[in-house]
Amino acid sequence: MNVLVVARWTVLEARRRKLLLAGVVLSAAFVVLFALGFTLFYHLEERGLVNTQAQVTDPTSMGGMVGAREQLLVLSSALVILGLYGVQFLAALLGLFLGVASVSPEVDSGALHAVLARPLSRLDYLLGRFLALAGMLTAYVVVMSGSLLLTARIVAGYEAGDTTRAVGLMILQVLVLLAVSLLGSIVLPTLANGVVMLALFGLAWLGGIIEFIGTVPPGNDLMVNLGTAVSLLLPADAVWRGASYHVMPPSLLVASSFVDQGGAGLPFASTTPMAPSMLAWALAYPAACIGLAVASFRRRDL
Amino acid sequence: MSRTASAEQAEPTAGTGQPVPAVAASALHKAFGRRVALHDLTLQVGAGEVFGFLGPNGAGKTTAMKILLGLVHPTGGHALVFGRPPTDPAARRRLGYLPEHFRFQEWATGEELLHFHGRLSGLGAAERAERIPEVLERVGLAGRGGERVRRYSKGMTQRLGLALAIMHRPDLVLLDEPTSALDPVGRRDVRELVRELAAGGVTVFLNSHLLTEVEAVCDRVAIVNQGRVIASGPLDDLAGAATQLRLLLDRVDRDLLALVGRYGDVARVEGTAVTLAVETLDVAPDLATVLVGSGYRLYGLVPVQRSLEDVFVDLVGEVRER
Repeated sequence: MNVLVVARWTVLEARRRKLLLAGVVLSAAFVVLFALGFTLFYHLEERGLVNTQAQVTDPTSMGGMVGAREQLLVLSSALVILGLYGVQFLAALLGLFLGVASVSPEVDSGALHAVLARPLSRLDYLLGRFLALAGMLTAYVVVMSGSLLLTARIVAGYEAGDTTRAVGLMILQVLVLLAVSLLGSIVLPTLANGVVMLALFGLAWLGGIIEFIGTVPPGNDLMVNLGTAVSLLLPADAVWRGASYHVMPPSLLVASSFVDQGGAGLPFASTTPMAPSMLAWALAYPAACIGLAVASFRRRDL
Repeated sequence: MSRTASAEQAEPTAGTGQPVPAVAASALHKAFGRRVALHDLTLQVGAGEVFGFLGPNGAGKTTAMKILLGLVHPTGGHALVFGRPPTDPAARRRLGYLPEHFRFQEWATGEELLHFHGRLSGLGAAERAERIPEVLERVGLAGRGGERVRRYSKGMTQRLGLALAIMHRPDLVLLDEPTSALDPVGRRDVRELVRELAAGGVTVFLNSHLLTEVEAVCDRVAIVNQGRVIASGPLDDLAGAATQLRLLLDRVDRDLLALVGRYGDVARVEGTAVTLAVETLDVAPDLATVLVGSGYRLYGLVPVQRSLEDVFVDLVGEVRER
């Protein structure tokens, strides 16, 4: 019951601080921009390909036609992944900021003293905070990624491999970041936490790039292992890569120039599904962070 | 006057027939790193008492209060409120608290804060709707509940803090320097509020370094310094324990000092005025007779009650000299 009271209070805080309004307005701008860009670019390419085909003299050859369709699919996949990469980046930063601002500023200002003197357990307080922020972030990811995928579907007939899994993993990534920064908000001062969390996030991103380079033929095991180690420290980029796999249509993944054209695809997307062990780790990670946060917060003197 | 606080172990259990004290702290110790905030704090506050916890800044008053609220964990000893450890959220249901720095979420309005705290304290919607305007009125914020706390003055914020502390009709109200931001009118309002709470049977635990405030409202006080209770007892005992007589005479000489010395200790001589510390005021008539009989002209013989401030300054000074 008290968990819900705190969660409601947290949502009210987001509204009062114009966080929700700013989020909605800027997100709407992002979606509109993506839709415009995607539509323009897609139609331009489509027209270009049709013109090229019109110049092909042998009308019985279907090779050009198939090639053109595939090329358009590759193009829309790349655009959708770029768009979603933007969404996950924004959501990740949002998750980090909200987590960093979740507890320590209230402790520093002293506003929490009167609250925790109420018959409210510290567990309930933290859970309420986490659930409200997680709820808002989830809504953000669902609406944003949903809008992008819907745009691609309407404009280009684009079908993601597994929309539910893709969006689910994007949500998981944000929850990982929210949970770790909430933990930081209890064990570190606000500013230090912000710095540490951004650095960790950057590190995870770099780890993902290193791992990607390691998989480019002929391959480098050391680089791959290094990337995996970073992902264990903060499974954020790894989860996004897992999500990106499900964004791509299966046909593309099977016979794709993405995979075959001498490279392994886009540097910030993955053409292989996420390893089950990494997925399990990513699922356990937020729970572990919250558990540690609660244990530490219970002992804390205010 | 007892120089040490009651050392009784307060482990009240239901069914013993003993009234459960509102506050029972025994041998509380708290160290923040190497700095010891509380050494060995033992005190008891009975239900319905108005208890003044006095001490200079940094004496450990706020730390002690935070332990009683479960906000700070003691490194030794234990505390009970109404017989339960304050770290148990259910034990805090009966407590109201005004923090020393009375900071609240500034983005919220006064009413929103009251609703939030009311919900946490288990007040239903109907109760809150009835009680919130009532407490706002009581603390002098009628009609201001819809404004953001950010726009409140310091005094208004402290008044809002008082409203938050009493809104759920607690049995024990802990006020940490409740008048620090208030003007003289506000201070009087707080004194009235404390008296009103006491009349309603509410226990009040008042942290303060403002002695007049404590003198005006408290039944019993404890003086704390450097993390230890150095004196405690009913206010009258503490302040009245050492009684003095002030004599105004035509002259003061060695014979006179010898004469009055038989009735008490000479505390001060200022011109022809002598201040004499006596055991009891009952010596006054005899003293007057003897003085006049010995040829001195007596212009005045006045009992002087030592104020709590005198007691406080003496005691805190003593500790510092040690």
